[in-house]
Amino acid sequence: MEKKIRVLVAKPGLDGHDRGALVIAQGLRDAGMEVIYTGLRQTPEQIVATAIQEDVDCIGLSILSGAHNELFPEVIQLLKAQQADDILVIGGGVIPDEDIPFLKEQGVAEIFTPGAPISEIADYIKQRVAPQPNSVNKQSEVHKIDHIGIAVENLEQSISFFKNILGLTFIGTEEVMGEGVRVAFFKIGDVKIELLEALNQESPIYKHIEKKGEGIHHIAFEVNNILYQFEYMNELQIPLLQEQPKDGAHGKKIGFIHPKASHKVLIEFCEKSK
Amino acid sequence: MGDEVLFEQLKRWQEKTEAQTRRFPERENEFKTSSKIPVERLYTFVNNKEGFNYLEKLNFPGEYPYTRGIQSTMYRGKFWTMRQYAGFSSAEESNQRYKYLLEQGQTGLSVAFDLPTQLGYDSDDSHAKGEVGKVGVAIDSLKDMEILLKDIPLDKVSTSMTINAPAAILLSMYIAVAEKQGVTPEKLTGTIQNDILKEYVARGTYIFPPKQSMRLITNIFQYCSTSLPKWNTISISGYHIREAGSTAVQEVAFTLANAIAYVESSIAAGLDVDEFAPRLAFFFNSHNNFFEEIAKFRAARRIWAKLMKNRFKAKNSKSLQLRFHTQTAGSTLTAQQPDNNIVRVALQALAAVLGGTQSLHTNSRDEALALPTEHSARIALRTQQIIAYESGVADTVDPLGGSYYVEALTDEIESQVEAYIQKIDELGGAVAAIEQGYIQGEIHKAAYDYQLEIEKNERTIVGLNAFQIDNDLKPELLRVDSTVSKLQVDKLKELRETRDNQQIEQALTNLKEAAYTDANLMPYILTAVKSYATLGEISNVLREVFGEYQPS
Repeated sequence: MEKKIRVLVAKPGLDGHDRGALVIAQGLRDAGMEVIYTGLRQTPEQIVATAIQEDVDCIGLSILSGAHNELFPEVIQLLKAQQADDILVIGGGVIPDEDIPFLKEQGVAEIFTPGAPISEIADYIKQRVAPQPNSVNKQSEVHKIDHIGIAVENLEQSISFFKNILGLTFIGTEEVMGEGVRVAFFKIGDVKIELLEALNQESPIYKHIEKKGEGIHHIAFEVNNILYQFEYMNELQIPLLQEQPKDGAHGKKIGFIHPKASHKVLIEFCEKSK
Repeated sequence: MGDEVLFEQLKRWQEKTEAQTRRFPERENEFKTSSKIPVERLYTFVNNKEGFNYLEKLNFPGEYPYTRGIQSTMYRGKFWTMRQYAGFSSAEESNQRYKYLLEQGQTGLSVAFDLPTQLGYDSDDSHAKGEVGKVGVAIDSLKDMEILLKDIPLDKVSTSMTINAPAAILLSMYIAVAEKQGVTPEKLTGTIQNDILKEYVARGTYIFPPKQSMRLITNIFQYCSTSLPKWNTISISGYHIREAGSTAVQEVAFTLANAIAYVESSIAAGLDVDEFAPRLAFFFNSHNNFFEEIAKFRAARRIWAKLMKNRFKAKNSKSLQLRFHTQTAGSTLTAQQPDNNIVRVALQALAAVLGGTQSLHTNSRDEALALPTEHSARIALRTQQIIAYESGVADTVDPLGGSYYVEALTDEIESQVEAYIQKIDELGGAVAAIEQGYIQGEIHKAAYDYQLEIEKNERTIVGLNAFQIDNDLKPELLRVDSTVSKLQVDKLKELRETRDNQQIEQALTNLKEAAYTDANLMPYILTAVKSYATLGEISNVLREVFGEYQPS
């Protein structure tokens, strides 16, 4: 069973503005973390006690009253005193830029000021809260690009461009019913280009074109064993679009990373032909 | 021109335009206000086709249901009160700032207290660590209040105090200072916020449980109805509900639901509705969606007038009039390119004026970064003065009355607010709805939606997720003097050594005994305050008797 990142969202000080704290708590939950919210007016002692009791990986401190320079360092000191300073501490709220160096010097890992998107905060926590070294003993199996997928409106016309004008080697076309697409493959060096045309309105390609128009749709990396790659991603808590690998073109097993975890690039893994 | 011709022409125009949009699509598939009210391409006579009744829906300014304003001449008589919320660290420094603001042409004071004061803690309490004098002035005892109001004529200046849980104590201090100035209580004008219900749902500075808090509030209503007839005993606040992330509709709905709870609790305590209702005041937010905000203020007036007349059978016209203070929306200000905030504030302030506000606070451009500097606060005040003196919008009453769009929005907001109020009634009223977490949940949902819209770029915030710049120069910020805490602690030490502690003990014992009965606590608190009992000492007596609120 994968272990979720645990975060304590805490409100030190006396201000009652918890819109930001609540929204971030919800956003981190939606990003797959377990989040505990302390409620208002917590003393540094209470926050540290809760963090230790709940065995969290990260404490997010939110304050809007201006008492951050007093209260954030106190939380850090108390964590040190309890030998719990492996817990990542980040902060947010109305905090002037010029206070940030001082807070970082005191041991606050990062400060997120108004306007910071939740996704940025979630990515930061994921990056910093490294998975336990002994729990992940797998390695990524990605060694080469298998193909680049391009969403097109009309397959015939696009084939003509890639074949006749660019002069790529045309391999052939195929329908992949599971994805609701008809695809064409070309070969260029070691890499293939895949053109994808939607067969129906349920097709992800149809939706892609509706939303963004034609263009690069995904990059596919070849892996030796897709199940192994899936387990590796799961251990790192990187969300996938499927629970299990599914059938792609050429009968290969494929799967996708959720683009929110891969900088908005849709990444496919496809298993090497056996 | 007959109706038939009009409708025919409208139909022709709609078809023509529809055809055009197939070739040249509009910016969005659907347009919506912040409350998700669909916005049509064009509003015309048909939007009011279901028996538009001018007298019933709008009537004239100063007449029921007050949609067009509560006075007949509105700003032609006098401008709204320009009231900037301010309070800085020590009483001494705040006093200087108030005098400066009055010299600059501000017409009313608005006192911001620091958080320990708002929560009934003395500056030397361990809970106050790091917070003394941070977001407002620290007031520990009558001594501080005397310094705060030194040389300010309390018979001439109206003062608004943003104080809720310990409102009875701070009001008592104000009365005591006035008496020392030779000003009798019946001459005092001003407002205490005193709206505890919104603290549980949005602002967070509660002390006691709801029932005991409601008792303190009705005690104040009762006391003021005889002793401070010109004092606004509550400012029922949607401001913080909106800041917590609600929509415009929710802001009005939850505020009026809270207001209903106060009225019911006062009537249950034996007060006559027309004795206290004229002193109820409201406090709203002015947000970004310009016309929706204007319609919101107009709808709020109409709903309140109807509620007071039909549900509570109020007879005094003053009881039916929704008077309100407005503040521009702090949460809309961005830390990025802070000068842009001046423009946001100007638009929001204009909406408040076009909505008929009685007083207005304009936010300063640097409030997403820190407390405002004097320079920023001056620009904010000047923004109001430019609207008042230069734009001409104040020269006629309710200039947008009769606008097809604004009237349609006013109607729609009214009906959505009424649906919410009905839902809250079904849950057992505002107090029950808060205890069940219903109102908090609705606000949180709206707040999260709003945030996701920004992150998905479905909502554009200039400078934040569009039109960003690389070298964003940060303005100079106000730094709160960190020596205030020591100053307050020293003053407290001296006070505790020099005052008549025996007299205080007696006053506190009397207060405690009265708190266990149904007695009105105001006279007991006033006596304690006058003997220089501290805010913390008085609050602690009440904590002992009432307990503290713990959210579930």
